[in-house]
Amino acid sequence: MNSPMSDMTLNGKLFTAGIDVGSSAIKTVVVRTSADDREEVLALRTDRIRKRDLRKVIQEAYSMALEEADVAPDSVAYAASTGEGELVDFRRGHFYGMTTHARGAVFLVPEARAVLDVGALHARAMRIDEKSRVLGYRMTSQCASGSGQFLENVARYLGVALEEVGSLSCQASTPEQVSSICAVLAETDVINMVSRGISTADILKGIHLSMVGRYLKLLRAIGAEEHVLITGGLAADEGLAEAMREQAAEAEMGLTIHTHPHSIYAGALGAALWGSFRHRVLARRAGTTEN
Amino acid sequence: MTPDLAQLVERVTHLYEDLHFQSVHDWKSEEPGRHAIGYMPIYVPRELVHAAGMLPVGILGGGDRLEIIRGDAYFQSYICHIPRSTIELALTQRLEALDGMLFPSICDVIRNLSGMWQMLFPERYVRYIDLPQNFDPAVGGTFWRQELDTLREDLGRIGGREIADLELRQSVVKYNENRRVLRQLYEARSERPWFFPTSEVYLVLRAGTVLPVEEHTKIVRRYLELAPLQDDRRDQDMSRVVLVGMFCEQPPLGLLITLERAGCWIVDDDLLLGLRWMSGDIPEDGDPLQNLAIAYLEQSAQTASVYQPEGRRGAWLVDSVQRNVAEGVIFCAPSFCDPALLEQPMLVAALEREGIPHTQFKYSENTGQFAVIREQAGTFSDSIRLWSEA
Repeated sequence: MNSPMSDMTLNGKLFTAGIDVGSSAIKTVVVRTSADDREEVLALRTDRIRKRDLRKVIQEAYSMALEEADVAPDSVAYAASTGEGELVDFRRGHFYGMTTHARGAVFLVPEARAVLDVGALHARAMRIDEKSRVLGYRMTSQCASGSGQFLENVARYLGVALEEVGSLSCQASTPEQVSSICAVLAETDVINMVSRGISTADILKGIHLSMVGRYLKLLRAIGAEEHVLITGGLAADEGLAEAMREQAAEAEMGLTIHTHPHSIYAGALGAALWGSFRHRVLARRAGTTEN
Repeated sequence: MTPDLAQLVERVTHLYEDLHFQSVHDWKSEEPGRHAIGYMPIYVPRELVHAAGMLPVGILGGGDRLEIIRGDAYFQSYICHIPRSTIELALTQRLEALDGMLFPSICDVIRNLSGMWQMLFPERYVRYIDLPQNFDPAVGGTFWRQELDTLREDLGRIGGREIADLELRQSVVKYNENRRVLRQLYEARSERPWFFPTSEVYLVLRAGTVLPVEEHTKIVRRYLELAPLQDDRRDQDMSRVVLVGMFCEQPPLGLLITLERAGCWIVDDDLLLGLRWMSGDIPEDGDPLQNLAIAYLEQSAQTASVYQPEGRRGAWLVDSVQRNVAEGVIFCAPSFCDPALLEQPMLVAALEREGIPHTQFKYSENTGQFAVIREQAGTFSDSIRLWSEA
């Protein structure tokens, strides 16, 4: 079974792409792998779905990422999807979220041995090794609390832009812990707090702390030690990371919580990097078959 | 999908979804005096039913489209799902087209079901097909020949005429032909699985449980022609897996779709194994009943409900993995299926001796949530692709 793309390298350089289809945004990454196995990120982009035709958003995001990377579509040796990637019609392969976040995490923070992936709909903690192998994992249940969607709802109730949530949370002086982090009851909780005159910053910090309580339970359950990288859509929320650091220190868990400017691309990045790996494996096999 | 394939798939899907067996009613009404005989998984000698001028009809439970109201009263909660939905089908008059029912010896549950059938429907023909577990022709062969003789006489009595040797030979020819095209289908899928998704192959296969064999052979041939013409089907980097444990209670179609979406090309399976039971052709001349008896001893598929000598269990699975260039095995068995789940540790041991990766999960014919299975199968597929050579 020879791959039709077995020799798809340009001057010893291999181009691969990763497309992470999330529930609210598409993350696209283009990576170049050199002959000496050096991996370099050429393009990263996030496109919000905003009730648009998903197939169309994916195609546009991919085309623009390739343009940004200055790579022609037919030069891409392996386009890999992750997340809800079934709608990526042009994919050569699909990798599961845990696999890709683990790979992306080790690429971004090589010392990371645990990943906390907080997406729009769920949070997932994974213990990984230095080769990105997933050694154990725990996920939040189907309940929306503790997810990005929950935080987005709260921000909307408070009239705060999602991008401002982190910085506002960091300004809190006396955070108010919410009595329940049930996504359904959150609106009532928030209204109560607003009517009691609690500041927006304190409300947001309180919500962050409530969410973090759940995440630390997940990390404890997988036996996370030392370096943890936050990935997924909420990785960009500095307030959440700060709350994690505070709570982890308070609980004396011995964790170093990392974020990275490219954390939200961990899934797409991992898909592109695994795509590069798989392309080389398949090319080697095809070569072996040919020989 | 091209219109002609869409039409074919629509037809087999309709047959799969029809829990009132309208196609069987239609077949019977075409000619007065026709009879239909139902059978449970896994194997019954359908050639004999066919030679009697009757339609063998596979009864495979109610799947995920039947609400169980009365069936649960007949079985404890720790019994699998297929007998309760089969009882439900019967008690809701969905099996009225059947003039008789054959219950092969799969497990105790199906044996008990045959007893229940005799009590519930005393006016109908019911036979427990006691398949031999001794493969010595002088012992198991003699026994099985006698069983076949009895079945031949019984069916002759129901049909109002004796089954002639010539008729039986002609039926053997028809079923040989059908099994040959099914073997071709399995080979084609193994070679280029992207053209033959298992969720579709299964429906094509399943049509063979309700249609006359001649018609089913034509459908399979047509599918073999049409599927490779689909331009929208292309190779992808997915794992090649063998699926095991689905020989009796059938998985919901959504489960097969989920496994494929999770990145698994299914290159071999034991779905509807009875249709493909014989590994080769049954001799078409000579004593046809003796040929049927010997074929069972010498050409039977190997599966959980068939005796295999000590230490041999799993050899067929390893062989399937190697023959189909599979990269792993998914054990996917119905909850509470004694044969499948008791055999599993022996199969696992055989795979581990060869270093073949495997994973396992359970289903019920009416399972409706596949998120966990998808995650597990997807991660298994990833682990095969990424760690086998990392």
